[in-house]
Amino acid sequence: MNYEEMGKPSKGLRLAFAITSVLFLVVLAISPLKDLLQQWKRYKKEFVHFAQTRPDTKRLLADFHSGIDQIWIPNLNVVDRCSTCHLGITQPSLLDSSVPEPFRGHPTIPHRAKEWGCVVCHRGQGLATEVKEAHQTTLAWEQPLLPVGYIQASCGVCHRSEIPDTPKLNRGRELLEDLNCVGCHRLQGIERPAMIGPDLTEVGNKVSREWVYKWLKEPRTITDSNGNVVVNGYENEEEPRMPQFRLNEQELRALSGYLSSLKSKPLEPYKFDARVIAAWEKKADLAQQGEVRFRQMFCVTCHSLAVTRAGETKLIGGDIGPELSKVGSKVNGDWLIAWLRNPGEYLPHALMPQYQWTDEDLFKVTRYIQSNLTDPDLLSNLPSLGPPRPDEIQLGQRLFLEKGCASCHAIKGVKSPSDFGPDLSQLGSKTVSQLLFGEARIPHTLVAYIRAKIADPVSVNPAARMPQYHLKPEDLEALTAALLSMTGQPATAAYAQLVVPAPQARFRPAGKFGEVYERYKCYVCHRFNGFGGTLAPDLSFEGSRAQRPWLIAFLRNPQTLRPALTSRMPQFGMTEEEAAILADYLGMVTQSPSVNPDSVSPKEFTPEMANLGKQLYEVKYQCQSCHTIGATGGYVGPNLNNVGNWMNAAWITAWLKNPQALVPDTIEPRRDFTDEEIKSLTAYLTTLRQNPHIPAPRGTVGTPGGSR
Amino acid sequence: MIMNSAQRALDQLRSTRVWKSIFRRGPARTNRTRSLAVFGNLFLHVLPVKVRDKSLRVRATYYLGSFSFFLFLLLSVTGILLMLYYHPAVPQAYRDMKDLRFVVSNGVFLRNLHRFGAEAMVIAVFWHMFHVFYRGGYKPPHQFNWVVGVGLLLITLFLSYTGYLLPWDQLAFWAITVGTNIISYVPLLGQPMRFLLLGGHQIGENALLRFYVLHVVILPLAAVMLIAIHLWRVQKDGGLTVKEDHEREK
Repeated sequence: MNYEEMGKPSKGLRLAFAITSVLFLVVLAISPLKDLLQQWKRYKKEFVHFAQTRPDTKRLLADFHSGIDQIWIPNLNVVDRCSTCHLGITQPSLLDSSVPEPFRGHPTIPHRAKEWGCVVCHRGQGLATEVKEAHQTTLAWEQPLLPVGYIQASCGVCHRSEIPDTPKLNRGRELLEDLNCVGCHRLQGIERPAMIGPDLTEVGNKVSREWVYKWLKEPRTITDSNGNVVVNGYENEEEPRMPQFRLNEQELRALSGYLSSLKSKPLEPYKFDARVIAAWEKKADLAQQGEVRFRQMFCVTCHSLAVTRAGETKLIGGDIGPELSKVGSKVNGDWLIAWLRNPGEYLPHALMPQYQWTDEDLFKVTRYIQSNLTDPDLLSNLPSLGPPRPDEIQLGQRLFLEKGCASCHAIKGVKSPSDFGPDLSQLGSKTVSQLLFGEARIPHTLVAYIRAKIADPVSVNPAARMPQYHLKPEDLEALTAALLSMTGQPATAAYAQLVVPAPQARFRPAGKFGEVYERYKCYVCHRFNGFGGTLAPDLSFEGSRAQRPWLIAFLRNPQTLRPALTSRMPQFGMTEEEAAILADYLGMVTQSPSVNPDSVSPKEFTPEMANLGKQLYEVKYQCQSCHTIGATGGYVGPNLNNVGNWMNAAWITAWLKNPQALVPDTIEPRRDFTDEEIKSLTAYLTTLRQNPHIPAPRGTVGTPGGSR
Repeated sequence: MIMNSAQRALDQLRSTRVWKSIFRRGPARTNRTRSLAVFGNLFLHVLPVKVRDKSLRVRATYYLGSFSFFLFLLLSVTGILLMLYYHPAVPQAYRDMKDLRFVVSNGVFLRNLHRFGAEAMVIAVFWHMFHVFYRGGYKPPHQFNWVVGVGLLLITLFLSYTGYLLPWDQLAFWAITVGTNIISYVPLLGQPMRFLLLGGHQIGENALLRFYVLHVVILPLAAVMLIAIHLWRVQKDGGLTVKEDHEREK
């Protein structure tokens, strides 16, 4: 080889070098080109064109620049680049649905995007600047965008207490509690209560084996003689809470046999006076009289009855207690009497108040229930069961635990399993890769999974132990939203600080008042300082409102204050002493800080002031359009016939000044009364008395806080 | 004319004190000063004094060693650029991947260069080793350089492994979980070694930091030193092993 040729590359090598050089140049060109053609740059350009078609171009483009936009909140570790393409979210003029996405404005909500970013509520990948990456589950990001229909779930991540703007979430949380999901599952923010289903220790005394069999097979409320569901309990927000379990014939026989065998001692029938009964029995309309009493006592405030009108069967009445249309065919007559006399004896956590019955009422009402609230077909079409065999009882006992019955129902001596179902307290932050879809043909998303699991548990897991619930579509959505809001522990301390906990309210007074309060279960309907039901008025400040003699009279014989309402306070048959204890306690304790009883002295009121007040009432402010006095007036507000005996003058004055300060969600409008007008109106209203002298019962203790 | 004056200007420059203090010599006019110029310059000195024509042919080496070295340089440059964007912290590490993808200009290109470069380097180093082995390059006088080469192979593999955790994604996490669990099966020393590597009993922020320091400081430094020795010994051991060397020996 000669010296000149040394080191000269061969032809092939030169070619290889040339080709790789060209390839290298091409590769170098591709990357900047890809940078140049990114999606977001196109959207930015489009927005400029779009803004020029709008009347407020200048304002729309005021903050516009050609780079990436991002919302950066250091303490939340939020970096959201969504506004790079969603350029109109802060523009109120782009709220209209005709504005094409991604430029549409964001509806007004209490939180501003600048302070919270987008991903905190909407999920997805805020760091991304590509459509697919930002919105969907991809190889490198698991949390997709939350469908906008479930966006209220995100409110619930921080707001653990109820807020008015999230009806869907609130309904879902209500359902979670009502359906006793915590019986089997661990849930975020819902305490495990006492068993919500009835205690079954003595259930053999209450119902027959046949009835248990039928109930386990189809617990939904009303079925016709062909077994078709006429009234679906769930669709009417009525009972039962009991879901439908998938049980075969053998299991049904075993469970019904086991449960009907549960009775420690036979019931002792209540002994009516035989001679008196003989006299009542002669009356032909005994059941009708019982029905009248049943209605007078307002049992339907809590219990509903099936009523068929124009061929359509509907449940009418309250949903606190079970529906009673066929209860006469369900329960044992002796048990019914024992239950009505003292529900707490059979079921310590019963919500049913303990009424003061006269023997006559008790006899009539039970007769009415047993003869009228029945269905002869209820237990037809059942196989003949007979008394349970020992092997059936044994199997039933095992099934009671295996099927999860013990999660909702207690039986003395049977230990209820804790965490029968999976922990759901972080379900909302689960990723798709953590879910098993089985054979279900549904989209592989968390939302679809939750919906399918609740609607038909077997669809995603054939071996599921979860029973079948029959929910209407909007309730399914609400439940899904509530479950999505349960995302477990906040990831960072900064998020943990945002959580608004639900207030823990308990009102369990002791002493004499506590006894009466517990006996009549006042808290089932009334609310005291945030604890209790919402069916009836909040009594947190009742002592400031009502006068003692009126309270006592009302408790003994509740009158209708709001004629437009169908649910009314039941007649408990309280004794004078009990009513006095309640009135004294309410007067002493339940005082509003915004009502000063000494601020108004009724002695100052003159007939002239009252006359002026009457004129204001009738002419200037036309209060009669909502309130009734005498025989005329509206039905929206309470009847004021007896308001002079009912309410304290100080309460009336404070109420007229600002009703919402006393009862935040009252519909009473706040008017701009002058102080003089308020005084006159109060003077007038205090003169309205139906029965000027209600004698206070003798022999009661305590200072009547409310009567001045 | 011009050449002469340029030559004169260069000679004048080479006679200055600054030039001499840097290059330890004056103008290279004689053979002695010319060879001093080579000896006194680190970069020229690493290269062999004479190169055989045969060793420059493609088939002689397929340039695999040079290719590996070139990839090492490429990885150093792209790695330093990536270090400008990367925090070895949880969860910032993964967010930095996102920034590289979505915000940094040509960030995807940069990451891909580093990633595919690293994979190519592992392949090139192995191929280089096989090639040297089948050519008998481990035989005397190259036996020490073979050992250095094996050390470089291990460093390359370990660099690749430590770099795998740094994106802090699921793939990284589980790969390192598996890898460090394998280490723990070493008799007696297994658990302490795993603990030392992870800075704890499970993969967390400490493990990320340790892997980062290994990846960007300790291992590259070791690689640079071994590469220097490797190249220097190629020259000192009589140049590249060419096929005929051994044919002659037979």
